[in-house]
Amino acid sequence: MAAITLENLVKRFGAQTVLQQLSLHIPDGAFYTLLGPSGCGKTTLLRCIAGFYEPDAGRLLFDHDDVTRVPAHRRDIGMVFQDYALFPDKTAFDNVAYGLRARGVARSELRKRVDKALDDVGLLAFGSRYPAQLSGGQRQRVALARALVIRPRVLLMDEPLSNLDAKMRLQMRDVILDLVREAGITTVFVTHDQEEALAMSDQVALMDRGAIAQVGGPEDLYATPNNTYVADFIGSANVVPVAVLPEHRGARAGEALRYRLGEQLLEGRSGGDLRSGELTLVARPEELALAAPAPVQPNAVPGQVLRRQFLGSKTVYRVRLAAGMEIFVEQHAGSASRGFHAGDAVQVLLPTHCRVVAG
Amino acid sequence: MSIKWWPWGLLSGICLLLLAFFVLYPLSVLFTNSLRGADGGWTLGAFARLAADEEYREAFVNTLILGVTVTTCTMLVGVPFAYMVARFEFPLKNLVALLPMMTIVIPEIIVGQSWLLIVGNNGLLTRMLAERDIALPRFYGWTGLIVSMTLVYYTYIYLGTLAALRSFDGALEEAGLSLGTPPLTTRFKVLLPVVAPAILVNALVVFTLVAGNFALSMLLASQVPLLSVMTYNAFVNEMGGSPALQSAMSVVAIAIVAVVLFVQKRVVERKVYTMTQGRAPAAVQVRSWRSLLYTTMVGLVVLVSLLPLVVVFIAAFTLTRGPVMWWGQWSLQSIERALRHAPEPILNSLQFASMATLLGVCFAVLVSYLIIKKRSLFTQVLDYIVVLPLTISGTVLGIALVQTFNTGWLILAGTSAIMVLAYTVRRLPFAVRNASSALYNIPDSIEEASISLGVPPLATFFKAVLPAMRASVVSAALLMWVTSISELSASIVVYTGGLETMPIAIFRQVDGGRLGLASAYGAALVTVILVPIIVAVKVFRINLFSTR
Repeated sequence: MAAITLENLVKRFGAQTVLQQLSLHIPDGAFYTLLGPSGCGKTTLLRCIAGFYEPDAGRLLFDHDDVTRVPAHRRDIGMVFQDYALFPDKTAFDNVAYGLRARGVARSELRKRVDKALDDVGLLAFGSRYPAQLSGGQRQRVALARALVIRPRVLLMDEPLSNLDAKMRLQMRDVILDLVREAGITTVFVTHDQEEALAMSDQVALMDRGAIAQVGGPEDLYATPNNTYVADFIGSANVVPVAVLPEHRGARAGEALRYRLGEQLLEGRSGGDLRSGELTLVARPEELALAAPAPVQPNAVPGQVLRRQFLGSKTVYRVRLAAGMEIFVEQHAGSASRGFHAGDAVQVLLPTHCRVVAG
Repeated sequence: MSIKWWPWGLLSGICLLLLAFFVLYPLSVLFTNSLRGADGGWTLGAFARLAADEEYREAFVNTLILGVTVTTCTMLVGVPFAYMVARFEFPLKNLVALLPMMTIVIPEIIVGQSWLLIVGNNGLLTRMLAERDIALPRFYGWTGLIVSMTLVYYTYIYLGTLAALRSFDGALEEAGLSLGTPPLTTRFKVLLPVVAPAILVNALVVFTLVAGNFALSMLLASQVPLLSVMTYNAFVNEMGGSPALQSAMSVVAIAIVAVVLFVQKRVVERKVYTMTQGRAPAAVQVRSWRSLLYTTMVGLVVLVSLLPLVVVFIAAFTLTRGPVMWWGQWSLQSIERALRHAPEPILNSLQFASMATLLGVCFAVLVSYLIIKKRSLFTQVLDYIVVLPLTISGTVLGIALVQTFNTGWLILAGTSAIMVLAYTVRRLPFAVRNASSALYNIPDSIEEASISLGVPPLATFFKAVLPAMRASVVSAALLMWVTSISELSASIVVYTGGLETMPIAIFRQVDGGRLGLASAYGAALVTVILVPIIVAVKVFRINLFSTR
C-alpha cells in the first residue's frame, strides 16, 4: 500500500509532448480514476507510474521512495491490461502463480494463495483451464487475481472493462471494487467512460491534452465543473455564452453573481476565475424547467420549443432561446408540470446555483 | 535519458555484427572481386569479357525467356486452380490442402531426378514406349525445363491467388452486378483488377526463382545454355585461379533479381489492395460434368505433385546394372550400398542440417523478437539484412562464401562449418518469417504483464514470450530442417571432399548415370524429411504452414 505522488512529470514522444508538467497526489488506499478522451495522456501517465515509460522530467514517488528511475519489475506493482494479457500457454492457475514463483514463494504457500485468489474472483473451479477456454469476463478476473495475489503496493488498471459486453462490465465493476476495497490497495484506474469513473471512484482526475483539467470526487466534478471542458465531458450540459457584470467578475468560486443572457439579467454563481476570456453558463438539462410564457417567472428566459422527444422515463425538449442559442431541457415523467409541443412559446427557468465558468 | 543497452541493445548489436560479417561482407567481397583485374587493379574487364562472350549472351537471353515462359505457365495453371478452389465445392477438394506442403517438402533435385526416371533416356515410360517402337520427344532441354519448373513453382501463384481471392469482398461483385454488368464482365472488370497485383507479386517471385534455379537447370539443360549453370561451371573451372569471371556472373545474377525486386516494390506492391472488410463469396457446389472435371483436375495435379515421392521409392528398390534400370525386378542392392558402403552423405546431411537448424532457429527467434518487439534503428537494419539471402540464388551465395572464407584470418573453406554456414544463411529468412508471424500475434502486454509481476526483461523473454511462441518455434525448426537438408545449390559450391551431402550425392550419381544409387539416397532424403513432419503433425498436432 502506498500513496503515489507525481511532481512536474513531463513525457515526450519525439516532438510531441504528451504529459505537460503534470503533478498529482494519489492518497494511500484510494480508488483513483484517470479519465479523459483518447489521446489525452491518461494511459501514458499510467505507464509512467508502472515504469514502462521513463519520464523526460519530473519525479515519481511511492510514499517517500523516489521510483522515477526504478525499472518496472522492481516497482512492486500489479497491473491489469485492457486485452487481459494472460499467458496463452499457461493455465489460469499458472497465470496467477507466475508472480509468486518469480518471488520464490514456497510451494505449499503458493498453492494456498493462488487458490484463495482464484476463489476471490469466483474461479476456483477453473484453475486448470487455459485462457482460450475462458470467457472474456473470466479472463479479466484471472488477470485481476494475478495482479492482486502478489499483494503489490499499487494496482494499475488500463481500461480493464472496455473489451467486455455491457452486462459483464457492470458485473465486473462490483467484482473489482469489492476486491480492491478488501485489500485496501491504492488503485489507479484508467478509463474513457465517464459513467464508469463516476460510479467507481473515490477521486477522479479528468485529463485534457496532457494536463489535469480538474480533480475531485465524482459529485464535485458533476455539480461544480471548473470549465466547459469538464462540464461537457462529465454528463451532458448546456453551455451557453453569457456576459458577467463587470463588478462581479472578481467573484470567487461559489460566490453569487449577476450575468446577462441576451436581454435578460440573471442570477447565478461563479465557477472560479472569470477575469479573462469567454464566459459560459453551465446548466445541466435536468436542472432546467419549462413554464408557460405567462406569468413571467423570476430568473427565466423566453424561448420556443423546437422538438419534443419522449424517452419513457423522461422527455427531452430542444428549445431555442430568444437570444438565439439552442438548449436542451429534460422533464422527468413524474414531473408535475404539463407537457409542451413543438412550436409552443415557453419560459426556461434557470436555477440560481447554475455556474458561470471560463472557456 | 540513458541508452538502454542491456540486454536488448547489446544483443541487437551482436546480431547485427554477425549478419554483417556472414552476409554483407561476403557479398562485398564478391563485388570487389568482380572489379579486380589479374594485376590487382580496378577494371571492368570481367564484365567486358562476359558481354563479348556469345554463349554467355545466349545464356542471358535463354534465362529471361525461360523465366517469362515458366512464369506464364505457372499463372496459367495456378490462377484457374485457385479460382476453382476458392469459388466451387466439389468432391476430393480437400486434397488440395496437401499442395502447399509439396513444394516445401519435395526437394527440387528429387523432382528432377524422378522426371528423368520416368521420361529420361533410361526412364520407365521411355523404355516402355521404346519396346513398342514409339519414340518420346527428348525431355532434356526446353520441354523438360518448362514442364518440371512449372510443376515445382505453380504453387506460389496458386497460394498467392487463393489468399487474394479469399480476402476479396464479395459485395463488390454484387455491386457490379447491381449496376448492370453481366456476371462474366463483372468478374473481369471488378474481380480481376483487385486480384491481379497479388498474382503479379507472386509471378515476380517465380521469375527470380526460375532465374536462379540450379538443380533442374543442371539436370535438364544440357543443350540450353543458362546463366545459373554457366555461373556454376565458371566457378568449377576457375577453382584456384582468378575469381573475376565467376564474380562478374554472380553480380549479373544479383542484378537481375534486384531489378525484379525493384519493380515489385515500386510498381506492383503499391497497387496491392487490402480489403478491410467484407467476406469472400461462399464456394458454390458444382454438379454433374463440372464436378467430375474439377475433381479430375485436382486429382491430376496432386498426383503429378506426389509422383516424385513414389517414383523415387520404386527406383530405390529396383534392380540396377550400371546405368540400366531393370524395372519390375526388385532388389535391395542400391539401398544396401547407400546405407552400408557409402553412408557418408546421409550422416553428413543429418549432421549439417541439425546444426543449421539449431543455429538458425535460435538466431531467428532472437532476431525476429528484436525486430518486432524492440524496434530501433539497429533492428530496422537487421530487418533488411536478414531477408537479403532470399534475393541471392544459392549458387551466388555459395560462391560469395567460398571467396570470402578460403583466405584471410578466418578460413572455413573445406570444413563442415562452411556447410552449416551456407545452410543457415540461406534458410534463415524462412525461419525468421515463421517466428515473426507468431510474435506479431503475441501482444506486447504479455511481456509487460510479466515485468509488472516482478520478472526482469531477459527472464521475461524466456518465461513468458518463448513459451507462448513454442508452436511456431517447432514449426520454424521443421521448416529449417526440411529446407536445409534438401539444400543443393549453395552447398554444392562450398563442399569439398568428405563433406558430400545427400542432395549432392543424388546430383552426382544422376550426373554419372547411376540412377539406382541416386534413388536410394533420394529415398533416404525423403524419409528424413517426412518423418519429422508426420511426427509433428500427428503427435504434437502442430499446424504446419498455416502462416503461408
